[in-house]
Amino acid sequence: MISVKNLQFSYTKAAFIEDVSFEVTPGEIFGFLGPSGAGKSTLQKILTGLLTDYSGNVTVNGEEAKTRKNSFYENIGVDFEFPSLYEKLTAYENLKFFASLYKKQRDIPTLLTSVGLINDADKKVSDYSKGMKSRLNFIKALLHDPALLFLDEPTSGLDPSNSRVMKDLILSEKKAGKTIILTTHNMFDATELCDRVAFIVDGKIRALDTPHHLIMSKGASKIVYTYIENGKECSAEISMSQTSGDKHLMQLIQNNQLLSIHSGEPTLNDIFVELTGRQLQ
Amino acid sequence: MTPLFRSFAMFIRQISRDSMLYAVCIAPLFAALFFRFGIPYLEARLCGYFNLPAILAEYYLLFDLFLAILTPFLFCFASSMVILTETDENMSGYLAVTPVGKKGYLVSRLVFPALISLFASVILLSLFSLTLWPLPLMLAVCFLASLFSILVSLLVVSFSHNRVEGMAVSKISGIMMFGLLVPFFIFSDIQYLFSVLPSFWIAKLCYDRDYLSILPALLTSFLWIGILYRRFEKKLT
Repeated sequence: MISVKNLQFSYTKAAFIEDVSFEVTPGEIFGFLGPSGAGKSTLQKILTGLLTDYSGNVTVNGEEAKTRKNSFYENIGVDFEFPSLYEKLTAYENLKFFASLYKKQRDIPTLLTSVGLINDADKKVSDYSKGMKSRLNFIKALLHDPALLFLDEPTSGLDPSNSRVMKDLILSEKKAGKTIILTTHNMFDATELCDRVAFIVDGKIRALDTPHHLIMSKGASKIVYTYIENGKECSAEISMSQTSGDKHLMQLIQNNQLLSIHSGEPTLNDIFVELTGRQLQ
Repeated sequence: MTPLFRSFAMFIRQISRDSMLYAVCIAPLFAALFFRFGIPYLEARLCGYFNLPAILAEYYLLFDLFLAILTPFLFCFASSMVILTETDENMSGYLAVTPVGKKGYLVSRLVFPALISLFASVILLSLFSLTLWPLPLMLAVCFLASLFSILVSLLVVSFSHNRVEGMAVSKISGIMMFGLLVPFFIFSDIQYLFSVLPSFWIAKLCYDRDYLSILPALLTSFLWIGILYRRFEKKLT
């Protein structure tokens, strides 16, 4: 679906994207994870054919991005971080206009129903809340039923309820067979949604794997327990794999002296910090 | 071509819903009426008052030139305002990732309005000019004026971030029209100091009736358009 080989790009004389190579297979949710200014959006602009002054090979849907024709956009849908909608028009008018730009079109009322906006279809977009605009913006990218979706920070600035709605919409599109490129700096979204993630820092890919593999390969699960000793509350931490070998813990369990016991594993953010020395958020 | 026309239809729809832009687009008609009937009336009053045979009549060609350039200038001012509104609403960048494309977007927002303004200025000049215009000259001047208006539009959208800034830059961009006056008032070679302005060559074409002036007019217009397009293109990505 996407193949990037030895990609280099710069806005100035200094390299901004350096020697980036990766592949995305059909039906996959692939995440670009990195702090602001790392090069995630630039990479997305290259993949969507907006920036063409690069070296290396970028093939999207079998077409080189720098020599793409306008028909290239018949098969990709883009949802930018900030809504791009005509504020003076109604939601329905907006969708009708954007649908008219494509050869293939999905049924607008069905799409509006899928995001709970059918009753607000005739309302001007300027009267919409942020969450409503985000949902409308998302279905705008689906109007022509593209095989490939580019989503830039789709849950940014949304409340937990709207964020959940958005994530469910993304997962339902994956279920429908879409390939999704997700750009985010939200590690929880990436862990939940992505099949694979690429850590991007200073225009380079520092790691690329499934969130599960990244977490498991770099940090073992741990157990933290607390107990009373000499009248004071104490705590200890051991690796999950050494549980049976911890005689002190066994003794505390046998004597019912444990106050609390918790297991935990590192988050994608911890792994990101460990690998790159940078914070995601 | 369909996405281009759909995009242009949206442009027309936005103008029709904006009373200020609607007024801007019909303003050339009122200007033409004033030039055709108001200026000869003023001339008659002024000549009578000062007891002179002619005062404004010597500059009737200049008034006609202003009329030729005013129509595309105002049409493209409306385009600039639409583009700035769309940039504000993140629409310009979004349309670039649809089958309209980056270049298609600019064609639907600048080239199509310029083409319409070309026809409008030919009609207005044919009906309301104060002097006699040979058809080839009229067509050449109206074409160059349309090209010039694309340049002014790009200048406005490249150097402003919103409509308020756009209106301020539009006023400043009036300087680009200054070249129209030069051949009428500066007769020495000093006039060539203004040769970077396409408007200077448009005026030279009319004043000297020298069709060779079309070449530098085209050259300077495309040079400006090229430079400004590159700047605006960065804003679209």
